[in-house]
Amino acid sequence: MEALIKPEFGLTFWTILCFVLLVVVLSKTAWKPLLKAVEDRENALKRDREAAESARAEAEKIKGELEAKFTEIKAELAHRLDSAKAEGEKEKERIIEEAARSAARILETARIEIDAQKNEAVRELREKVVGLTLAASEKLLEAHLDPKINARLIAEALAELEKNDKSLNLSGN
Amino acid sequence: MELKEILEHHIVDHVWAWGALGPLKFPFSKHLLMMGLSAVILLVILPLVIRSRSSALAPFRAMIEIITLFLRDEVVLPNLGRKGAAYLGYFSTLFFFILTMNLLGMVPFGATATGNLAVTAGLALTTFALVNFAGMREQGVFSYLAHIVPKGVPLWLYPLLFPIEIIGLVTKTFALSIRLFANMIAGHIVILAFISFIFIFGSFGAAIGFGVAPISVALVLFILLLELFVAFLQAYVFTFLTAIFTGAAMHPH
Repeated sequence: MEALIKPEFGLTFWTILCFVLLVVVLSKTAWKPLLKAVEDRENALKRDREAAESARAEAEKIKGELEAKFTEIKAELAHRLDSAKAEGEKEKERIIEEAARSAARILETARIEIDAQKNEAVRELREKVVGLTLAASEKLLEAHLDPKINARLIAEALAELEKNDKSLNLSGN
Repeated sequence: MELKEILEHHIVDHVWAWGALGPLKFPFSKHLLMMGLSAVILLVILPLVIRSRSSALAPFRAMIEIITLFLRDEVVLPNLGRKGAAYLGYFSTLFFFILTMNLLGMVPFGATATGNLAVTAGLALTTFALVNFAGMREQGVFSYLAHIVPKGVPLWLYPLLFPIEIIGLVTKTFALSIRLFANMIAGHIVILAFISFIFIFGSFGAAIGFGVAPISVALVLFILLLELFVAFLQAYVFTFLTAIFTGAAMHPH
């Protein structure tokens, strides 16, 4: 069994030789192309990521611009809406005022008309009243004529007539 | 057959021939074959899968990529700092090399090269070299040697602490090699023991042997799955510890 733990140093020499040659050859033929491929791929990935990042930044910028534009348009819209509302309000005021003025004018005209009518009516009434008063006065005057006097006057007239013409028996006797 | 023979047959390296260079002897063995096999597999498969554009290989490409990126982001960069990216090739190769050798040990007729102390010692020595190289490169040779002793230590403790820190460096390396080696052979030994149970009980009577067999096989299956997990875990641990040691050498504070 001592062969198991007794190293054969000739084999050690072979091992070192073999291994060193292997390192030299494989470094050139295997590890260099492998690492180059890996590095190329890593660079490509890095490039892709950078491109994606720049595209994303660009998109962000455009989005910001659009948002700003949108805000601007919204402000403009609100402004226009406000001005239109104010204009409408003013128009309303104007129409109402005009209507009020027009109503006042019509009212005035009506009042004048009414006044004229009233004056006319008053004048007519006065004339009528004067007429009526005169008629009434006449009647009153007539009423104030004394029947006794009238009768005496009549009797005297009759008596005169009888004196002048005895054929007449007007007195009844 | 004795258990000892079985164990030696399955776990210990088989040297087929010796190459000699002066007084030095280099074995050509089964573990060397397995190590070479895993190296060839990595050399062929990794570039093929990584460079291919076919969609059928895409899952494997993704798998390799995920492991490599995990090593980069969770192991190398946190420990070594920004300059650690230059060492990623070393750590990736280390992980996949150990992993392939571990997994080859689980293939029938295969052998676990990382279950050989010489192999793990070799890997640990490269780590030791890397730790010192990275430290000296980062701080300069003299600054590195000066910073081996932690900051804030009284001056009179330096003669004591300097050798201790040097020993610590060596110990870390030694522990690395032992950890991988022990983890890789432990599963094999347990599996061989469970298989041997069948024959040990079978020697009491064929019926008892057949009775024990299902239990043994179920346990062996469990240990095999555990070994599969350990194969990945130990490759990761070895890589991770190497990163920690290297990071500590590069950034002493």
